[in-house]
Amino acid sequence: MAINPMAQFEVKTLLPLHIGGYDVSFTNQSLWMFIIVGAGSLFLYIAATGRSLVPSRMQSIAELSYEFVADMIHSAAGEDGLRFFPFIFTIFVFVLLSNFFGLIPGSFTVTSQIAVTFALAAVVILMVILTGFLTHGIGFLKLFVPKAPIYLLVLLVPIEIVSFLTRPISLSVRLFANMLAGHTMLKVFAFFVIALGATLASPKPWFAPLSIAPLFLIVAITALEILVAFLQAYVFAILTCIYLNEALQLHEHH
Amino acid sequence: MPAPEPEDLRALGEKIDEARGADSRPPPQGALGVAFRFGTELMVGLGVGAGIGWLLDRWLHTTFLIVVMTILGAAAGILNVMRAAKELNAEAAKYPAPAVKNDDDEE
Repeated sequence: MAINPMAQFEVKTLLPLHIGGYDVSFTNQSLWMFIIVGAGSLFLYIAATGRSLVPSRMQSIAELSYEFVADMIHSAAGEDGLRFFPFIFTIFVFVLLSNFFGLIPGSFTVTSQIAVTFALAAVVILMVILTGFLTHGIGFLKLFVPKAPIYLLVLLVPIEIVSFLTRPISLSVRLFANMLAGHTMLKVFAFFVIALGATLASPKPWFAPLSIAPLFLIVAITALEILVAFLQAYVFAILTCIYLNEALQLHEHH
Repeated sequence: MPAPEPEDLRALGEKIDEARGADSRPPPQGALGVAFRFGTELMVGLGVGAGIGWLLDRWLHTTFLIVVMTILGAAAGILNVMRAAKELNAEAAKYPAPAVKNDDDEE
């Protein structure tokens, strides 16, 4: 029994592997990412093979998730944004499944690792920059120039640039911190249950029944975590849409 | 299983749309989520500003840029929070909450 509530986030090497001086070992993190990608692909593949007019349950889930993401992109980035459907759908499903699989007791939450969330955010931001330059050429840099008197631009342009640079960080920190906080909280309360239950063998056994209280809390927090798992995947995906939309439209956001 | 009549299907589709109705909106982001989001924006702005300043100082062998960039980062963080608030307001405006009549409203 791990008493340390942070032990669950430890990356353990399963298959040591060194290529060109770099440690590229296969870890529990890699394993769970494979499981997530595999499960997501397999599910959507099986769900899409039926293709009946009256959908089966699995097909319904696939259709609903398709519609959900398509609606989200449409409302956040308009018609133009639908070109990015495969990209955003993949990110959404990956984050959602990572968050949900992480809730399975004994599993590993890949989105609780800043390395994973930052890699995702970096891909998103690179996509935004690429889209911006491909759509507007050098004019994409106008994103950093708000409508303001020229003497204020000296101050505003650096602020806009820093604001843009914070995006990948805040995108990754938000997801990682939410997952980390939730799972740590669960472990801490689980420890309370065990610690209070263990008093049964101590000179003060009347504390033992109290262990039911943190147990109820764990149930409540688990429910909250399911909501957070979905919400964070949604927030990650919709912010991707919003950033892509900005790169496409060069919106005046003032 | 015999194929259902197209008419039945259409009626069923209408029923499903009706049942879903306004409820196809995303789940509301609770107050805690919003607070968490604004908090991260502010902290990350400050952190990124300070980080850039520190790197620039190391690169250019100066000492004052970290101060300037931290202040700019804080400003960027506030800007991000304002934008996030604007987004949330726009989203809230799309799905208006049911009007609550206030009897004490005399103005």
